[in-house]
Amino acid sequence: MLSPDVSTADPPRVGRLERLAGKLPFRWWMALPLVLLLGIFVLYPLGFSFYLSLTNYKLTTRNLGYFGFEQYNRVLTDGDFTDSLKITLTFVIAAVLIELILGLALALALQRQRFARNVTRALLFTPMFVAPVAVGLVFRFLLNQQLGLIPNAIAKLGIHIDFFSPNFALASMVLIDVWQWTPFMVLLFLSALESLPKAPFEAARVDGASAWLTFRTLTLPMLMPVIGIATVIRVLEASKLFEYVFVITNGGPGGSTESLQFIMYQTGVRFFRLAEASAMAFVFLAVLALPIIWMLRQVRKAEG
Amino acid sequence: MNDAAPGTRLTPAAEAGRLLLIAMAVTAVLVPLLWIAFAAFRTPADLTNPGSFAIDPTLDNMRDIAEGGIPGAALRSIIVGFAVTIIGVFVGALAGYSIARFRTGGIPLRFAILFPTIIPPTVLAFPLLALALQFNLSDSLIAVIAAHLTIVVPMITWFMTGFFASVPREVEEQAAIDGYGPFAAFWRVVVPNVLPGLGASALLAFMMSWNELFYALVLAPGSSQTLPVAISGFNTFQGVKLGPMSAALLLTVAPVMVLSFVIQKRLVRGLGGSGVKG
Repeated sequence: MLSPDVSTADPPRVGRLERLAGKLPFRWWMALPLVLLLGIFVLYPLGFSFYLSLTNYKLTTRNLGYFGFEQYNRVLTDGDFTDSLKITLTFVIAAVLIELILGLALALALQRQRFARNVTRALLFTPMFVAPVAVGLVFRFLLNQQLGLIPNAIAKLGIHIDFFSPNFALASMVLIDVWQWTPFMVLLFLSALESLPKAPFEAARVDGASAWLTFRTLTLPMLMPVIGIATVIRVLEASKLFEYVFVITNGGPGGSTESLQFIMYQTGVRFFRLAEASAMAFVFLAVLALPIIWMLRQVRKAEG
Repeated sequence: MNDAAPGTRLTPAAEAGRLLLIAMAVTAVLVPLLWIAFAAFRTPADLTNPGSFAIDPTLDNMRDIAEGGIPGAALRSIIVGFAVTIIGVFVGALAGYSIARFRTGGIPLRFAILFPTIIPPTVLAFPLLALALQFNLSDSLIAVIAAHLTIVVPMITWFMTGFFASVPREVEEQAAIDGYGPFAAFWRVVVPNVLPGLGASALLAFMMSWNELFYALVLAPGSSQTLPVAISGFNTFQGVKLGPMSAALLLTVAPVMVLSFVIQKRLVRGLGGSGVKG
């Protein structure tokens, strides 16, 4: 609206560029590398990925011709994708629920911990820093029916479980995820607990409220925002289940651990059908839209 | 004393339960890690006898992986990690400062930053693979570095925004009075104030790259494999390979555990500064 009169101005092209450079304010110069990086490595591939899902591109033929919505049709009508969606959802709900409850209990327990306080905390946080692929292999070894420490230990108690049999494999994936990611919940909850105002808790103590009553009426309501954020972060992360499956069960036995991320890898890389895999990725993204939108709304709220 | 938990005292039974929970958690965390460290120095005969804790300490497993593809993969992981960290810290610190001080880009830019970290990696991995094939960059470290930047740069930007926001504005006002331009003020006056945060972000960036499997697996499965891709090759899982596998896992996990102890305190502060606390 405040653009200069274009009809009279006719400066050389270089001059115009220089003026443009001068017009870009300091704050945008600072953000420019980020904007370029997001544009080249995120936005462009994202658009390209969507186009890819409308082709019949295979790693072998690399044909980029337009193919319509055929891939989406195939993904949505083929039972494999919906089966895998069910498996992934079961995994996500079980894992995040356990991590939430266990994480909250541990954060409350750690808040009162005095003896070896920092060492205990540092130790309990370690699993989330370990490469998930390494965690998968560690547990593959540890839970192996013939060679593993745990099946042999519980066999002495008379319990015989094959952790990677059709009935237990997905539960074992949940167990491994709980081992690795409960610490993330603990980290978020503990830092939130320690920033809560002290006064209401002092008042509760003076009034002689029990620990349980204090937790239910004071601590829990005040933690709700963090609990919400932690849950959504974990739901989004857990839905990417891949590493444990890739190194332990390879989707089996009988397809019982074929997570979405795993069948996309299978379809796109092992079977060369990159277009179909891209269509799966976009359907998956649509399924995740709800938690993603919720998450972005929280960001907007935090921004004020 | 001042860091005691607020509120009421626990009953003796509740206190016992609290201690039991912590003891169980510590055990659950330690046993798998120590078992692998232990296995890395055991012989195949000891390893295939699950009831036994016998050890006849051996370096054969270490020697075994030293001759295979693991050291090369570790070197490539270090190269990728350094490249990602250096570029990430540069890009993320500049943008984090801009967002913290001027709310640059507002909410749309914040969304754009979060987006690549929350979407499933398949959304970006497949087009990046097709593009890498197009530009003859498939199975190259460049493709992996580009993919890792999409998750590492947002993380650094996010954390640095929090750290820069905690630097008082007077610092720049004084710098302006002293005759510094905005770039010089940023570089010479503001950045020294956030060095601990910058260091923690760099360590975290390196760890994220070092641990990442999916992008590396899709983009560089062959002669350019990184360490996570290389150790995923142990999934054939023959009894005789248990020792070398444990040794390789130890090599992968140990450096990250050391780094994690360094950054944990800063991490909690970074989370608080970015408004994740709610």
